[in-house]
Amino acid sequence: MTRKVLALGMVVAGFALQAVAYLFLATPIGKPTDVSFSNPRVPFAPVLFILGVVLVFLAALVYELLPDRRASRSGNEEG
Amino acid sequence: MAQRATRLPYGVGSISARWIVSAVLLAVVAIAGWYGWSREISQGMIVTGLRNIGPMGGATWGIDVVFVVYFVGVSFAGITVAALIRLAKLTALKPIARMAEALTVVSLVLAAFAIMYDLGQPLRGIVNLFRYARPQSPFFGTFTLVISGYLIASLVYLYLDGRRDAAECAKAPGRLQWFHRLWAAGYRDTPAERERHDRASFWLAIAIVPLLITAHSTLGFVFGLQVGRPGWYSALQAPAFVLLAGVSGLGMLIVIAAVVRRTVTDRSHLPDEVFRWLGNALMILLLAYLYFMVVELLTNIYTGAERERDVTGQLISGDFAWIYWSSVAAFVVSLGLLIVRFVRKSAAVGLLVTAGVLVNLAAIGKRYLTVIPSQTHGTLLPYETGSYAPTWVEYIEVIGLFAFGALLLTLFAKLFPIMPVKDGDAA
Repeated sequence: MTRKVLALGMVVAGFALQAVAYLFLATPIGKPTDVSFSNPRVPFAPVLFILGVVLVFLAALVYELLPDRRASRSGNEEG
Repeated sequence: MAQRATRLPYGVGSISARWIVSAVLLAVVAIAGWYGWSREISQGMIVTGLRNIGPMGGATWGIDVVFVVYFVGVSFAGITVAALIRLAKLTALKPIARMAEALTVVSLVLAAFAIMYDLGQPLRGIVNLFRYARPQSPFFGTFTLVISGYLIASLVYLYLDGRRDAAECAKAPGRLQWFHRLWAAGYRDTPAERERHDRASFWLAIAIVPLLITAHSTLGFVFGLQVGRPGWYSALQAPAFVLLAGVSGLGMLIVIAAVVRRTVTDRSHLPDEVFRWLGNALMILLLAYLYFMVVELLTNIYTGAERERDVTGQLISGDFAWIYWSSVAAFVVSLGLLIVRFVRKSAAVGLLVTAGVLVNLAAIGKRYLTVIPSQTHGTLLPYETGSYAPTWVEYIEVIGLFAFGALLLTLFAKLFPIMPVKDGDAA
């Protein structure tokens, strides 16, 4: 259960990070009036966007690799 | 107890003298490519054929960018095939899933190298990309989604998909046992683990498909959204990029699958059915792409914009005509071969490989024609017509990339089964 929650949390956090990084940190807001509108509002916002994308896919690793607590417990009992 | 069954499947871990010679040759050519890059870094971009557009009458994007687009395109088919096998339950194509995934990862690595070759100051370029990449620019999507997200997604998919086989190979004692154990990461192939993997890879495949369509479209937008560059500005650029990516990637996959089939002793692991599927898919994509080419050509010929017609004129009867018509001929001949194979209802691997090679040569030609002519002949300002001729540095860099890619794939095939392991193949 924890594994599922963690993986799902990573997916949600990843998409949220992408949305926040893209819409609020990287995209200039308002009418472009000077040269500063050529840059992201917050430097390195693109890195956060990339981290969001990466986080979503790493969730699959967590989902598969993290041991299932219930399964490992029953395995120990059998052993 | 005698350890009789220590042979790993598909020649994993067994190294012959011929393989060593091939690997050394590939490594030498790859190093020659990096030597070319070192010239570029130490002496500057002057050692390349790249010059400023307009006043210097050159092109700022040369064959390195041509091959960025080409390699990213080749990567498309690999992961698409792998994802579709999972989503559409195309069990007939299962034997090529692993090589398709490996092809994607290797192609993306090569694309990343090609971008580095194009940058005069790679380190500055990378830092500034992370710092200043503009969401309004298609480059933002291309480099964040393609090179980071897409590469990570493909690596995760390749890794998770290989755990079952890694666990199978780890049963065989040998030099690579530690590697296979590490990859398997405790996988025991229980029904619960299998179910978990099925669920994870299903969702992973669902996430990958839109990502790769977006990523390839943004690469098309890099060109297609440039209003001031005749020859590039077109609504067809993005979908045409996706289609040609599929054509070149499937062609490359056919070639690799045929090479693997020659090396495995039991051909039933890679049956004719696989090649029939690949051939049919390539034929359909090629037909669609040729339709796009005709539409693009007719639109550009009939367009009122003078500069647009100039660039098109250069393609069909000017400096670039030999590349254009060679590419068209290669596409048409490939289509003919694929139709012949389709009518005969046979695998005809030889025909397919010829078609696969031809579509890749044609795709390289088409990528060249996308990147170069609009820079040398497509300025809206009253500059003289420019020219671009790659130097030996650029040629050796590109040749080195192909050698590096082949080396990575051959090394992978010696470390890990290039095809899914059937029950009883390992240990």
